Amino acid sequence: MAKVKKWIESKKAKPKCGEYDETKREFEMAIGKPFITVKVGIPEGFEDFRTEFLCLEKDEQFQEEIKDLVKKRLIFEKRYGKPES
Amino acid sequence: MSIAALIGALLTAWFGLQYGVFEYVAAIDFIDMRLIGLLVGTMIIVEVAERSGLFRFGALYAIKLSKGSPTGLFVLLGLVSAAVSMFLSDATAMLLMAAATVTIAKLLKYDPVPYFISSIIMINLGGTSTLIGSPSNMIIAVQTGMIFTEFINYLTLGEVALWGITIFTLYILFKSRLGEKKVLPEYNPWESIENKKLFYRSIFVLTLLVLLFLTLEHLGVGPEAIALGCAILALVLSGLDPAEIFKRLDWETVFFIAAFMFVVAGLEQTGILSDVSTKLVQLSGQNPLRATLLTLWFSGLASSVVSNAAVALTFAPMLTAAFSGLNDAAIKSALVFGTNLGGATTPLSGSVVMVALGALKREGISMSFREFTKIGLITSILQLAFASFYLTVRFGLGG
Repeated sequence: MAKVKKWIESKKAKPKCGEYDETKREFEMAIGKPFITVKVGIPEGFEDFRTEFLCLEKDEQFQEEIKDLVKKRLIFEKRYGKPES
Repeated sequence: MSIAALIGALLTAWFGLQYGVFEYVAAIDFIDMRLIGLLVGTMIIVEVAERSGLFRFGALYAIKLSKGSPTGLFVLLGLVSAAVSMFLSDATAMLLMAAATVTIAKLLKYDPVPYFISSIIMINLGGTSTLIGSPSNMIIAVQTGMIFTEFINYLTLGEVALWGITIFTLYILFKSRLGEKKVLPEYNPWESIENKKLFYRSIFVLTLLVLLFLTLEHLGVGPEAIALGCAILALVLSGLDPAEIFKRLDWETVFFIAAFMFVVAGLEQTGILSDVSTKLVQLSGQNPLRATLLTLWFSGLASSVVSNAAVALTFAPMLTAAFSGLNDAAIKSALVFGTNLGGATTPLSGSVVMVALGALKREGISMSFREFTKIGLITSILQLAFASFYLTVRFGLGG
């Protein structure tokens, strides 16, 4: 029985993850909670902080700080328009 | 799956040539290039249409139309699933509907499983009555000479009734699990279309494809010529990189069908298929009703355990030979219904169920083999029973 179960499991198609995630993202952008992905490279002169920099991706406190930054930016843009660079 | 078929083709070639069952020159013709042309042409057109966001637009519009009502959402997602699978391959349609279902179910905090199962079953059902609705329909069309208008004339009414019956049955089965009415966020499906020009051009090519299929009898060419012609037009009009489109085609299905076609043609040369045909004739007693029902249930049961393309490739030449002279239209229609309807009986029946289970697993949602099989068995038996009734009445086989 265990062998049959294992065979059935092996027959289950592996989802085409990339394609599925791509399609799901399109729906999420339209009706769900939209999100953005920003690529941030390590700043110049901080090459020695490589490990610390990579850890930021999973750092919850850092993510909260980014969210706050987004909120501030959106409020600013609503009140005064796009800031001059 | 395709690797097994390719090994099968290789062994068929080796044994056939080794033991003088067929000549090398004859073996080259075993693969029907018309069928491959029809498959690839249709895939190109659909891939271009998918990139335009046409099918996503349909799903988003259906969700909006439901206004947050779980019953409305259940019915509309089911209908859209069936409608998109008239064009998309079952696996691609399932990826699209899985993404739509998960997104909306998470947003409205609904249990996604009933919506998922309904999508699987409706995707399998959708496109039963169109020549390009599934690879098995294309196989039957090319191998038996059944044309686009015959598909519509013989099967559309039955398919529409089956959509209604199936959705109603699924609704009864899942009524208690659909959830409460919720407020949908405001959104405009139109905004999801990034390239409006491509969107309109895809609609134009799909409409042209259907119109040309409808007038096929007067054009003097086969459906493969129409599909390939429209595919070239779609590539030119879309301005997309053809290499990117070709990369995304479902080559596994193409190779599976080509290889399996070779195996069946090899078997035909040995006389095995003609022996089975003779047995079928004996079983039917040359009675059109019995022959039709035998075709329907035999192919239906077979496609519940193996791929429906394989069933169509094996049965189409066999049944055409076995029941020639009986009610030809009824037999072909029974084969179309049988190969399509059995495809969502168990998780092993077809690619659509596999893809759905894979997507569910990725979302961390579980649906057991047993849970799906229970619903799949009920709907498949109901659909085959209704198809038996429909074919008997439609072709006057009762008396």
